[in-house]
Amino acid sequence: MNRTRLLAAAAALALCAPLGTATAAHAATITMSGSTSVAPLATSLAKAFLKSPKGKGNKVVILQGGSDIGITDVSRGRVTLGMSSRDPKPADPGGIVFNKIARDAVCIVSNASNPIPTLSQTQIQDIFSGRVRSWSQVSGATASGPIDLVVRTAASGTQDAFQNIFMGTTLRVAASATTKSSNGLQAQTIKSDPNAIGYASFAFTKGLHTIPYQGVPCTLRNAKSGQYAGSRNFFLVSRGAAKGLAKDFIAFARSSTGQAIVASDWVPLR
Amino acid sequence: MFNPATPGFWSDRRVERMLGAVACLVLLLIIGMIAFVFAKAWPSFAHNGLAWFSSGGDVDRQLEDIFNSPSNPADYVYELHAWPLLWGTAVVTFGAVLIGIAFSLFAAIFIVEFAPPRLSGLLEPVVRLLAAVPSVVYGLIGILVIVPWVGEHLISIERKESVANVVQLDGSSIGVGIMILTIMIVPIMIAIVVDALRAVPRSWTEGASALGVNRWRVTWSIVVRTARPAVVAAAVLATARALGEAIMLSMVSGSASFAPNPIDGFTFLFEPTRPLASALVENVEGLTVVPFGQTLFAFAAVLLVSSMFLSLAGFVAKQSMRKYGVQP
Repeated sequence: MNRTRLLAAAAALALCAPLGTATAAHAATITMSGSTSVAPLATSLAKAFLKSPKGKGNKVVILQGGSDIGITDVSRGRVTLGMSSRDPKPADPGGIVFNKIARDAVCIVSNASNPIPTLSQTQIQDIFSGRVRSWSQVSGATASGPIDLVVRTAASGTQDAFQNIFMGTTLRVAASATTKSSNGLQAQTIKSDPNAIGYASFAFTKGLHTIPYQGVPCTLRNAKSGQYAGSRNFFLVSRGAAKGLAKDFIAFARSSTGQAIVASDWVPLR
Repeated sequence: MFNPATPGFWSDRRVERMLGAVACLVLLLIIGMIAFVFAKAWPSFAHNGLAWFSSGGDVDRQLEDIFNSPSNPADYVYELHAWPLLWGTAVVTFGAVLIGIAFSLFAAIFIVEFAPPRLSGLLEPVVRLLAAVPSVVYGLIGILVIVPWVGEHLISIERKESVANVVQLDGSSIGVGIMILTIMIVPIMIAIVVDALRAVPRSWTEGASALGVNRWRVTWSIVVRTARPAVVAAAVLATARALGEAIMLSMVSGSASFAPNPIDGFTFLFEPTRPLASALVENVEGLTVVPFGQTLFAFAAVLLVSSMFLSLAGFVAKQSMRKYGVQP
């Protein structure tokens, strides 16, 4: 998604330019690329960091592109930090360090006209693997007719998280599923189709019905308390241990100020 | 003082060489690009052989396996049967171009031969404006308005259930894709055909009129016949645009890599498909995974070759019409 990356870069530059001119003499720049799910959080954190004593007078440039792009970019030294919404994989390049900065709830979502009261893990697996194909077989569903699965493409970190948290290692999403290439397209499809079901990062669930998982509603409060089981990690990935300004930024993200920002839409570490 | 005998630095010979160099540069760029794309795409073709173009299994799942290849180059996964993508590309492209040819020919005839001058003076700039609308705008209208409407009003639950085990019908479909693509390519075709109809020598039509032939027959048997090469040129250009259209199709029809089946009758139009260019755009996130990137380059190579054959076919088709034709 080159276009998104460029747009995001332009937006990030516009954001940082007025702050960066103040003490341009010893200004340093952090560049980041990667997950579209982490990018909104990284942007909020960067805004606050540039106003903090350690960050003042520096610049942060945020590009997007997907978790895998962030990880590859940082391992090749193209950016200071990569953003990843998935856990480290054995096949990842060597010499990189995953620094956890937040957690995020992955919600199962349906059309607002189909407020399903709860789903168990087995039910979710049955629905998404295609064993159950009609809403009449799902208790509490008000929709009728076939179930429309709306999922993300393979390169998405959210898809990876959904697979790991809900489906396990052996089951796969049914081949008939509709696959969308971005969070926005996926949410739009579920919003306009009363028979749809899908999954989304908590920050992208506005206007959709979030289905309680194992009886626990997918809310920030439940995810923070640990009652909601469907959560994943957000990382800033560095090449070797983070140094200089990048180290300060990660420390800021993990500090109480940073975690207060995390708490607005995501799940803080503590 | 200007002295024609000593042209100075810009002598004709020097200018000729410099312009020649620029033209050769374009040629070099094209050759370089083709070589680059094919070199990148080669592993994907080499591993699959002709099976690359066949059907078998689920393309989305094959792409996922390629994406999740182990990091050791010897264990890279390449297996791919891309037929659903090729079939989807062909159906959407030719569907839109065939409807577009008929539509744009008649619209152009009206603008040139029948419309009152004030109306054609209004229509022509509007058509040219429409030709310049970016495809993503059409895509947005498609996904926000047309796709939900089709999903809600045209697809019955029985129709959905009849194919539910194979594919989901949610409105994003081959039919909507063809419709919006037609709307996208028609303006550019009208613009080309209008220019060609205008270029037909007036004396030819006046001669026919003087013999008492009515306006429609003059138009059909002389003007349109003469302008045939331009219609072919318009079709080739429109096909090239349709072939490469990615964003809009990915938004309104590309929800699954499925090969819609004409045997399904009317349902065929409501089945989703993902043309090659859309598949490329939707998977760009995974470009850094080596075998996945090579597979995407294979898509690009197929698109490149198809558009080359397209230009060639257009050229050949125009040869037989050259005698009385006007060139656009």
